[in-house]
Amino acid sequence: MTTQINVTETLDTSGVLCPLPVYKAALVLKRLEPGQVLELTCTDPGSLADIPAMARQRGDTLLKTDDRGATQVFWIEKGTT
Amino acid sequence: MISRLETPQHLTTDRRAQRYNDIRELLPDPDHPTPLVRVNRVAAETDLYLKLEWLNPFGSIKDRAAAYLLDGLQTRGELDGRELVEASSGNTAIALAALAALIGTKLTVTIPDGVPEEKKVVLRMLGAEVWETPDDMCPVDHPKDGAIALARSLAASENGTRYVMPNQYENPDNVLAHYETTGPEIWRQTEGRVRAFFAGFGTCGTLTGVGRYLKEQDPTIKIVAIEPQQGHRLPGLKSFGEAKQPGNLDWSVIDDVVQVDDQPAYDMTKRLWREEGLMVGPSTGAIVHAATGYGLDPDEIAVGVSPDSGLKYTSFFAELLGEEGLPQA
Repeated sequence: MTTQINVTETLDTSGVLCPLPVYKAALVLKRLEPGQVLELTCTDPGSLADIPAMARQRGDTLLKTDDRGATQVFWIEKGTT
Repeated sequence: MISRLETPQHLTTDRRAQRYNDIRELLPDPDHPTPLVRVNRVAAETDLYLKLEWLNPFGSIKDRAAAYLLDGLQTRGELDGRELVEASSGNTAIALAALAALIGTKLTVTIPDGVPEEKKVVLRMLGAEVWETPDDMCPVDHPKDGAIALARSLAASENGTRYVMPNQYENPDNVLAHYETTGPEIWRQTEGRVRAFFAGFGTCGTLTGVGRYLKEQDPTIKIVAIEPQQGHRLPGLKSFGEAKQPGNLDWSVIDDVVQVDDQPAYDMTKRLWREEGLMVGPSTGAIVHAATGYGLDPDEIAVGVSPDSGLKYTSFFAELLGEEGLPQA
């Protein structure tokens, strides 16, 4: 059984190199309410290290990562801090 | 009698009369240098002069680099139809924003954490878009170089068609600006008697350009670099313990490196305001602190750079002062 993730906002950063996806994701997360979820799509392999680190540093929760090879999708729940 | 319908004759630029037809004509060159002013009280044991770069038209030493960077991009046709993006702690961006606006180009600036609010507001007043970059944004790279990485990332986005990045850290036009203007100005203003030159590590355009020029005149002139501590609060300066060394740094012209902590730099900045009437920014305080403690020969002329004024750091100074200067109950 899989848990349904209710996505609040999506952001597609395909074709953009790190750290621009991190920066843009942080801008979206800043305006979300705690508990709301961002679905983030990246194509820069560096995102696999940068996005989890960003979520950890911001106090957000990385609910799920889907590494599809050329594309990586992250679901990030905004934290309370 | 001239008819009122005729086009009025504009006055021509006359530098002796301090009359200009365009703000860019105030950019310095060896015939029209920025002032060199002696530091008389806080450096009584030395013959130290400060080059007041805040009297440049856009308020800092970066006016020189920005003009050369933009000129290079235009000459090479790299600017055609594109916007500018640059990483800057403020001063280069301010000069670039002003110069870009004059040619109808927009600037996006990625600015590191810790830059005072005043600079960000100035940039926005000039029409620039300001992307504040957290120090820890790029955890897998040099943390303090997040602004540079972000600017590079923007420049590479949209297949490089939207933005061009002058890249003051790697672009030799930055060095050339100081080799062709700042260096010759100092040489002429000191009548060839300068024996030591002090400037901070940053983009290293000043140190390399001035150092190279002065060493060509006399290889025994000492070039001294000032480096702040890690996690410092001296905008414009770089600690290479936490930031990558720029391509524009030429170690062959550097004779010595002096480490300066924040507190003595700010203490010296305050003294320069109060004892010399020099309303300088904190990086000047760091440079003068290093020069006064260097053991200079009092009979030999030393020159330090004063990169910018303190008026863009008043929020930092308010913290420094605390309750000082306020009436006590």
